[in-house]
Amino acid sequence: MRALKLLAAAMMVITLSGCWDNIDINHRVLPVVMGVSKHDGEYLIYLQIPEPMQNTTQIKIVKGKGSTINHAVDDISANLEDRVDLLHVKVIVLDKKYAEAGLEDTISDFMRGRDVSPKTLVTICDEDMDHFFSLVKKKMGPKGTTLYDFFEKNAGWNPQIALTRVWEVYRSIHSYTRDVAVPIIRSGDTTVVQHIGSAVIRKGKMVSQINSEETLLFNAFQRESTQGKIEVMHHASVLVIGNSLEVHSQMDGQTPILRCKLKLKVVILETKEHPTSDMIMKELNEGLTHQFNHMFARLQGSGADILGTGQYFRSKIPRSELKDWRTAFYPKLKLDLQVQTIIENTGFLELS
Amino acid sequence: MDKSLHVVLMYGLTQLGFIFFFYSGDIISSTTEGHWLAIVIGLVLNLVMVWLYMKGLGYFPKQDIISIYSAVGKWAAVLFLLPLVFFLFITNIITIRAFSEVITLVFLANTPLWAIMALIITLSGYIALNGVESIFRTGVLLAILFLPVILFTICISFQNVDFRYFFPVMDEKFSFLARPPYWHSFAAFAGSFLFLGFIQPYVAYRPKYVLMTVAALVPFYFIAVYVPLFTFGQATASTFKFPFIVLMSTIHINWLMFDRITMFLLLCLVTFTMLFISMVLWKLSQVLHRCLPKVKPSYFVIAIAAANFIGCLFITNWDEIQSLVMWNTMLRFFVMVGIPCSIWLLGIRAKRMIKDEGA
Amino acid sequence: MDSFIQEIRDSLGDNDDFFFQQEKIGRASVILMGFISLIDLTRTKEALHANMDNWKPDRDDASSMMEAIGEVREMDLSEAITMFMDGKLIVFFESERILVLAEAYPSLLNRAVESPTNENVLQGAISSFIEDIDTNIGMVRKQIVSRHVKVRSFLAGSLCHKKLSLVYDESHADSKLVAKVIKQIESSSDKEINNLQNLTKALGLSAWSSVPKFNTTELPEEVAGALIKGRVILFIDRMPFGLILPNLIWDMFSLENDRNYPLPLMIVIRLLRVVGVLTTLIAPGLYVALVAVNPEVLRIELALTIAQSREGVPYPAIVEMIFMLIILELIIEASTRLPKSIGPTITMVGGIILGQAVVTAKLVSNLLIIILAATTISNSTVVGFQNSLAIRLFKYVIVIMSAMYGVLGLLAGLVLICAYLSSLSTFGISYLNISMNKGESGNG
Repeated sequence: MRALKLLAAAMMVITLSGCWDNIDINHRVLPVVMGVSKHDGEYLIYLQIPEPMQNTTQIKIVKGKGSTINHAVDDISANLEDRVDLLHVKVIVLDKKYAEAGLEDTISDFMRGRDVSPKTLVTICDEDMDHFFSLVKKKMGPKGTTLYDFFEKNAGWNPQIALTRVWEVYRSIHSYTRDVAVPIIRSGDTTVVQHIGSAVIRKGKMVSQINSEETLLFNAFQRESTQGKIEVMHHASVLVIGNSLEVHSQMDGQTPILRCKLKLKVVILETKEHPTSDMIMKELNEGLTHQFNHMFARLQGSGADILGTGQYFRSKIPRSELKDWRTAFYPKLKLDLQVQTIIENTGFLELS
Repeated sequence: MDKSLHVVLMYGLTQLGFIFFFYSGDIISSTTEGHWLAIVIGLVLNLVMVWLYMKGLGYFPKQDIISIYSAVGKWAAVLFLLPLVFFLFITNIITIRAFSEVITLVFLANTPLWAIMALIITLSGYIALNGVESIFRTGVLLAILFLPVILFTICISFQNVDFRYFFPVMDEKFSFLARPPYWHSFAAFAGSFLFLGFIQPYVAYRPKYVLMTVAALVPFYFIAVYVPLFTFGQATASTFKFPFIVLMSTIHINWLMFDRITMFLLLCLVTFTMLFISMVLWKLSQVLHRCLPKVKPSYFVIAIAAANFIGCLFITNWDEIQSLVMWNTMLRFFVMVGIPCSIWLLGIRAKRMIKDEGA
Repeated sequence: MDSFIQEIRDSLGDNDDFFFQQEKIGRASVILMGFISLIDLTRTKEALHANMDNWKPDRDDASSMMEAIGEVREMDLSEAITMFMDGKLIVFFESERILVLAEAYPSLLNRAVESPTNENVLQGAISSFIEDIDTNIGMVRKQIVSRHVKVRSFLAGSLCHKKLSLVYDESHADSKLVAKVIKQIESSSDKEINNLQNLTKALGLSAWSSVPKFNTTELPEEVAGALIKGRVILFIDRMPFGLILPNLIWDMFSLENDRNYPLPLMIVIRLLRVVGVLTTLIAPGLYVALVAVNPEVLRIELALTIAQSREGVPYPAIVEMIFMLIILELIIEASTRLPKSIGPTITMVGGIILGQAVVTAKLVSNLLIIILAATTISNSTVVGFQNSLAIRLFKYVIVIMSAMYGVLGLLAGLVLICAYLSSLSTFGISYLNISMNKGESGNG
């Protein structure tokens, strides 16, 4: 009797397991990069798919069109021999024009569905997508994840690249006090891609742009580690080995004031014309402060708070007023940045 | 035989699923600021009720609440146990259905809903069939296997927090008290402590440890609400149906073999929830067995499980779950407040009667 | 009394190994009876005569001589036959017509005490149990010298007799458990016990439990450890191992011999075994779940590698996995069946040639081979072969559930196994109890 019961259970399990379609991994197409652009109300989707071949991987770029993103992906799926699975998309490349027009719907849809992970990186492409992808394909080696590795922290990431994920963009759409910077790339002359700075996104819309150097300061301000970055000045070039930030916020009536102190630990790599360490420090401090102020003025003009300065006033402004941070307070914000450099060591040589 | 550890683990585990799935969403959508106040009020109410309940049960050693109420009279049994049965039954349906929904949302998009519900209910039914002590032992094994995973995922959930989102601190108006999501949040407490009244004849435990567990769970309640808030901010977090689940999917770890950590947290919580469901099945079978002593409790378990499954099939969408939760609110408060208080009062009465007889 | 001899002759005389021998001991003429196959007759006779020669009677009569030879007993036929079967010699004094039961030199039918064949011992006592029950009990008595160790013997079976012995430590064992076991054995003393399935039935335990109810061990050291932990040990004649009752989950991971290592090392070794069991259970299921249902859990690099290695495999992951698992089980089974000298050939053919060929032929992916190897190796870390069998069976449950529900199925399978294990109990003691000393309140 027990044996019969077991047998019946086993039969049921075996018949049941064929009931719904579980597709094996080798029958799924796993795109790593997805490009999104919009032309005349129609979405254009580019998928970069690593195709496992006998002993190597080939890169395939496919393109689909549709009135929604899913429609476009479906369009691609229907034309491919395997089913397209967006689960492994690691990088989303957005057309610059599309980003300027507003990303809110797309980003919300990514957050809504399970397919695209909220951790997916967002980038903006500064050239025609067709051109970009065809060049990328040409230059990419037999490794499917090149573009992803470019941003991966333990691979090709550099401190002057802003790292922004889908959920952070989504947060910026809804948050009262926080915007994001998204890296801008274009196809490189000799390398696969070239990083040319960061787009400033305000509530899901690209409003401005900062360059690589400024992105470094932005990252430092985010307390992101800027280790390894080489800073070149007139008299020396230094290697940043550590950074920290102290922020003090206060309200002067309706004017928010923020005092920041950025501490950089550096190592001297090269010198020109025998500078003293004081000179190097001074030059570095002034240069960075100037650069930062310049960037902040532009950011303030665009109304996008990518530095997250509003965060420091959460305890000082009631929630009902905080809602209008971007319009009522942010333009009035006074930000005073002091850069303090510590020269950790000077290498094997003494400074003269 | 002191089985405090078993009881305490059971009590803790059965709550974790609700805390991370539903509690965080309910609290975040019930108020825009000062969430801690909402949490504290809920926790204090919970603590008082658990304390009263155990105090009351302490007057009736080796008796479960069914015999306590039956001893008072048929009216008491009907008055308290009937709503309890309805409450547990509906809770079970909601739990199974909602968890299956989340599972399909997060990682089994191709699997039909009924198959997941069938899996959950079959497993829970099997655990319940083995009897209450077996449920406890299963709980201990699951805790050993899966609690480390849960603790690990909770630790790494702090990856993207920005503590400045803690402000503003206060909500002076206590507006959340009037919002339905806040009432729903009590689902996290209501179902889990009732079992303490059912197990007295089978296992012994020390009330002190249960109260300590209530205290030990407090951080989890705060983590479930505040970590999503710290990561996303109130304005963003309130747009999510399951803030903690979304939060987990934003965690990025370079050195782990696996990519989506959400899944591990979620699945471990699902296993704990199976434990909860099996406990509820067992409780229901106990009550029904008392009404119809001729039928074996195990038949009741099977029947209730089947009824639950059919009930789940009738729910077609998320809104219906929400409205069912709404319907259950009344019952929930009745069960959560009424039963502990009545047990406590009955206990005091019983004590006085013994004293009178003695004098 | 001649009729008695005649009866014996009738019932046993058709055995060619049964002997009747006229003999003169001192002045008395006797008939010696017994099985030549069980008794070393020459030595026995020598001993009898030597005994008589040294015999200095205080009173010179036949009855005191009989007492010197053995036990004077009135017995009926069936009793006598039992004694013969037991290898006893019966001396029949013709003139007095009296039966004397004498201890005889047994012919040597036991192997010597050797090192264990099914278990490996590192740095520990290596003598293992043999088929002879008395030797085994003696070895236990040598191992644990304590006056609290009690031995109870039973004879089971109505057609075939089998000697059972129950060994327990009075000061540690739960007296209720001992009483229960004794009662159970006595109540089913008419049942034949030839194997462990018989024994399970005789003890009133479920025969359908996949987890063995006894922890079998060949080592006196383990038995001694179990006695101190309050378990009871069953010995069955002709079975070269002790049965530790009840079998608890922790026995799967712990050996008494581990305590010969420093404590931290012991903990690490035991943890390793736990990891081994978990790997066996999880690894095949995880592969199926990740390949077929939830590839998003894999990192992209791994996903691509797996996809590449599965390119051209014509069937779903579950079939691939079960196919290879079964081949592996066949290899294991084959190598246990074969003589020791041919065993390695099978390992070679199975492991190297088949493994390599199956990948080259694109029947399975090479990652699967790695998973299988890991599974099989880790399966062997479990203590006790009978435990590893149960684990081997459980992993199929998980594989099938994983194929249906992916990672959810994997965990659901674990839950199922946990629930199953927690539903097991032997004589009221849950399988999950960690220790017996604390009664039933173990926290396992």
